[in-house]
Amino acid sequence: MELNRIERYWLLAVTSVLGAFAAATIVAVAFFGIRLPSPVDRIDPRNLEQTEFARPGIRQLAGNRYEAYIIAKSWAFEAGPGLGTPPTLRFPVGSEVTFYVTSIDVMHGFQIEGHTANLELVPGQIARTTVRFNRPGKYSIICNHYCGAGHHVMYATVQVE
Amino acid sequence: MASISLTQIEMPASPRTLKLVRRERLLVGAHILTAFFALMIGIFMGPFQTFHRSPTFVQYFPTIPVFSYYYQAVTAHGVMNALFFTTFFIIGFMYFVTERSLQRPLRFQQAAWVAYASMFVGLVTMLAVLLLEPQRSAVLYTFYPPMIAPAPFYLGLVLLVLGSWIASAILFFTYRDWKREHPNERVPLAVFIMLVTFIMWDVATIGVAIEILFMLLPASLGLLRTVDPQLGRTLFWFFGHPLVYFWLLPAYVSWYTMLPKQAGGRLFSEPLARVAFIMFLLFSVPVGVHHQFSDPGISASSKGLQAFLTLVVSIPSFMTAFNVGAALESAGRNNGAKGLIDWVWKQRWSDPVVAAQLFGMLNFIAGGFSGIINASSQLNATVHNTSWVPAHFHQTLGSAVTLTYISVLYWMLPAIRGRALFSKRMAVWQAATWFIGMTLFGLAMGEAGLNGAPRRSITGTAPYVTEPMRFWLDVTAVSGVILLISSILLYVNIFGTLFLSRQPAPEGEVPITTKSGDTTSPLWFERWGIWLGVLALLLLMAYGPVFAETLDFQSGWNIQRYVPSSNAPMP
Repeated sequence: MELNRIERYWLLAVTSVLGAFAAATIVAVAFFGIRLPSPVDRIDPRNLEQTEFARPGIRQLAGNRYEAYIIAKSWAFEAGPGLGTPPTLRFPVGSEVTFYVTSIDVMHGFQIEGHTANLELVPGQIARTTVRFNRPGKYSIICNHYCGAGHHVMYATVQVE
Repeated sequence: MASISLTQIEMPASPRTLKLVRRERLLVGAHILTAFFALMIGIFMGPFQTFHRSPTFVQYFPTIPVFSYYYQAVTAHGVMNALFFTTFFIIGFMYFVTERSLQRPLRFQQAAWVAYASMFVGLVTMLAVLLLEPQRSAVLYTFYPPMIAPAPFYLGLVLLVLGSWIASAILFFTYRDWKREHPNERVPLAVFIMLVTFIMWDVATIGVAIEILFMLLPASLGLLRTVDPQLGRTLFWFFGHPLVYFWLLPAYVSWYTMLPKQAGGRLFSEPLARVAFIMFLLFSVPVGVHHQFSDPGISASSKGLQAFLTLVVSIPSFMTAFNVGAALESAGRNNGAKGLIDWVWKQRWSDPVVAAQLFGMLNFIAGGFSGIINASSQLNATVHNTSWVPAHFHQTLGSAVTLTYISVLYWMLPAIRGRALFSKRMAVWQAATWFIGMTLFGLAMGEAGLNGAPRRSITGTAPYVTEPMRFWLDVTAVSGVILLISSILLYVNIFGTLFLSRQPAPEGEVPITTKSGDTTSPLWFERWGIWLGVLALLLLMAYGPVFAETLDFQSGWNIQRYVPSSNAPMP
């Protein structure tokens, strides 16, 4: 079986381009620290009392670092009392926030407008992502995974100021 | 069992004649017409979804006429178009191609009707549950647990897959008989592609069969009180990605083995085509996790490996682009093209069979590139679950595949009916408007997604819609109008051909090849045991760790099942 000369060139070009894409992905992980979600822990969605999710909301760590625990359920995000419904989460500019999110009923989604934060919320799993808020503004947290009749009104807001 | 000998079964005078014998008209015709019946239900839901997603449209028409149930319509659109239309069409088309190429009737003629009956009952069951229980069956075509639909929803799918398994067995046995008589010949390329398609399908459907039979159906019947959603998603996508190649490869049968002749050229390299399809067989299954890059329950290393394999599976599509592109160039040169690129428009654009495929290929360029973007695991975080994703798969499945299936319909329907196509010109316009509509749809949905618009959501009334999102969602509704017109043109032509056309079907030839034109590829390419072994190893490597992470035997928690209408736990 022989390959035509032009065919060989084409295959060489295609594999080089795809190799470059693969390399870009590795560089994104190794040097820019862009990580995909990885398993954090399992959780019993009907029994959150013994977990951090018993008190959803924002915790300030050292300096500009924060943690936010959020519960997703049909059809709202719950971030504890005092943040309103739907909740508004306020952070100063330059904050680095690690979100811990879990669903207590069906599949939900968690996407922060304008930022690289995009999680599937699978009941029974804790999802985690870290976001740095550098630009002041108002950003929606959108449920982007179909979750039933009220899916399109399920959202929250991040206020960076 | 085979009471009648195969030699007594009626075969056409020549494998290339467009005239179908009665047996072919019935069997192939039943599959193709049922496919386009399912598509008719699914396709007309589509434009109304774009209206529902457009804030401006909803502002002027707060209650959208017809199909006002968005999530129910999305479910019907996905289930009918992606599952029932495709499966019926592929099986009918592959029966035809296999019989004609191998010049022998299908082994087990009666079993083919059993398979059809199973799939048809599945279709009726599915339609019944979508109509009678629209709220509870709105679980979309991905039906992720713990959202649970009424049992007939899953039963319909089980019957569809069961029928497809019978059909694949019939095709495999037909090939085996041929191979025993021709041990030193290469099987015609179209049949080679058919075999790859159905081997891949049979392996992939194991995942969804386990999900439905051991999780969803028992949960729906109340036999199982709990399900694990992470495991359900993993099993679904084990099936879900090869599913897209199950749709694509029969379109490639047309592009590789029929279009060169329809366009007036010749295929550039048949041996290379076989290499491409072996790559499809090996690499289209161990990549399903690229739909789960954002899942919390799967490690980044498993995702990274499957991201890499996804880039590998794009290589055979690049090989296709080259090979089919070269075939079209030869066609253009035969039509008098002289320059570097004038062969692109020196094609038979007035022939709907050629035009529909060419338009589909143009869309597929955008679909292929957006697919490589999705495969790059880090970029996925920007586009995951946004309307970028349906933008991508409407360029691939919605255009390249669908337009190619429609092109097959445009030559096959007259042969089935025995009457000429109602209007060739309308058919060309249908393909052209489909291309324009889908191009605009892809642009608008893609832009809306990059601005944060989620997929399958009633964005027309969502509270988080921003100005740029709104603009692109409105443009999507415009594309919906164009696609609605194109869909109407398609079905006017179908019904016109069936009931109004008076002209007899044209005498003509089907571009069927009965002898392989390939004399250089190694004969062991057809040693399917080898490829199944390599595939098993790849699956073990790619999916072994994933299932090890997903399965959870000891933690003692489980998830209750929910129905989509109330999202309250079922009693």
